[in-house]
Amino acid sequence: MAARVLLLVTLLTGHAMLAMAIPQQALTSVQKETAASAGDSSKQADDQTAAAPKMDPKDKRDTKPQQKIHVRLGTVSFGLGYSYFSGPYYYPYRVFGFYPYGVAYPALFCDPFGCAYPSLLNPAYSGSLAYAEDKGQVKLTADPKTAEVYIDGGYAGGADQLKTMWLDSGAYDLSLSAKGHKAFHQRIYILSRKSLKVLARLEPEEAPDAAHEKGVKP
Amino acid sequence: MNRKIPLGLLLLAAAPVVASGPRGTVPKASANRYPSHAEKDGVSVGAALLTSDEVHKTFVSEVNRCCLVVEVAFYPAKDKPQAVSLDDFSVRVVGAETAVKPSSAKVVAASIQKSAESQRDITVSPSVGVGRESGTYHGTYTEVGVAIGVSEHGSHSGSSERDRDTMSTELSEKGLPEGTASAPVAGYLYFPLTKKKNTPLQLDCVLNGNRVSLTLP
Repeated sequence: MAARVLLLVTLLTGHAMLAMAIPQQALTSVQKETAASAGDSSKQADDQTAAAPKMDPKDKRDTKPQQKIHVRLGTVSFGLGYSYFSGPYYYPYRVFGFYPYGVAYPALFCDPFGCAYPSLLNPAYSGSLAYAEDKGQVKLTADPKTAEVYIDGGYAGGADQLKTMWLDSGAYDLSLSAKGHKAFHQRIYILSRKSLKVLARLEPEEAPDAAHEKGVKP
Repeated sequence: MNRKIPLGLLLLAAAPVVASGPRGTVPKASANRYPSHAEKDGVSVGAALLTSDEVHKTFVSEVNRCCLVVEVAFYPAKDKPQAVSLDDFSVRVVGAETAVKPSSAKVVAASIQKSAESQRDITVSPSVGVGRESGTYHGTYTEVGVAIGVSEHGSHSGSSERDRDTMSTELSEKGLPEGTASAPVAGYLYFPLTKKKNTPLQLDCVLNGNRVSLTLP
């Protein structure tokens, strides 16, 4: 039991240290890139603000783009396993008190400590499933759901079928129309690997009779 | 189906009209509706500095990375068209001598792309395992793990050439339209500055050869 706890603590400590080390490495490389590209950016700035008076060092510091590292939560996996072992021979892994990875787990439940084969749950591979390369996601919520969706004037489908769609990076004219409702128009800009939520509420059209009644005074 | 065809044709015909050229934003009813406003020779101008949250909601492009965004509206005098040019604007910290001119949409898009290229995403994936073994060696086992994935440079949103074109399009279409305006016009200006807290900014603009200053809170 003690050996099991010791191994677990060692592994967790290793991961924690790795987690601390990676951002530092990334920051260092970012700084290097910034330094390397300083010539280009300063040239660009000079071209752009040629007519303007030169800024003082403080202002120059302000214009420097912020370098950030985004940390996001990936797949949270939970595994359950069962195995039966009846071999008469000595099982070497029991020395460590930790169950051998990959025996009790099905193939898709690759263990995060060591994965020799691709897995859907491994973040190294799941990225391509979460985001389509060079495409952006549009999450469309329409009211009414029976509205027809047009992209750049072309019929794309029903709103109930297009709750989520992936589009190439670019600018599009999104239009929705439904019987008895005013049309909805919005200019949308799609960037790769970015999600855009669009809430399209189509206001009901005034019935011709009601409009006529409003105009006529008794 | 019959209804879809004429509607589709109508939308198809309207698309180029809608998409053509910079359009800016819809000007408010009058310059007084903006937090900062002034009038000179019958020409009114209103301005509002967008907060970081407002910029985030207004733009898909991450303009906050490089620039301050100021919405400017022009209200020309009747029968006197007003020339609107980005060169007529500059922003300075109140009391400072130096000023910064607005950047063009292309320059801002390039700046954002450059910033996005150098960014990395770190994905943290926790996992928990519970199992039971029976037989010669029996009992339960548990495990806890954390997997960490680091993305490569250039894989962040906004880092591709195509994204830069899209950002440039967005910033251009929402930017203040340049040219001669005979009716009220409004749009955004992008200044390559980062605002510090409690440092009011001053927007200077030239109206018919006269300099007008607006304090942006």
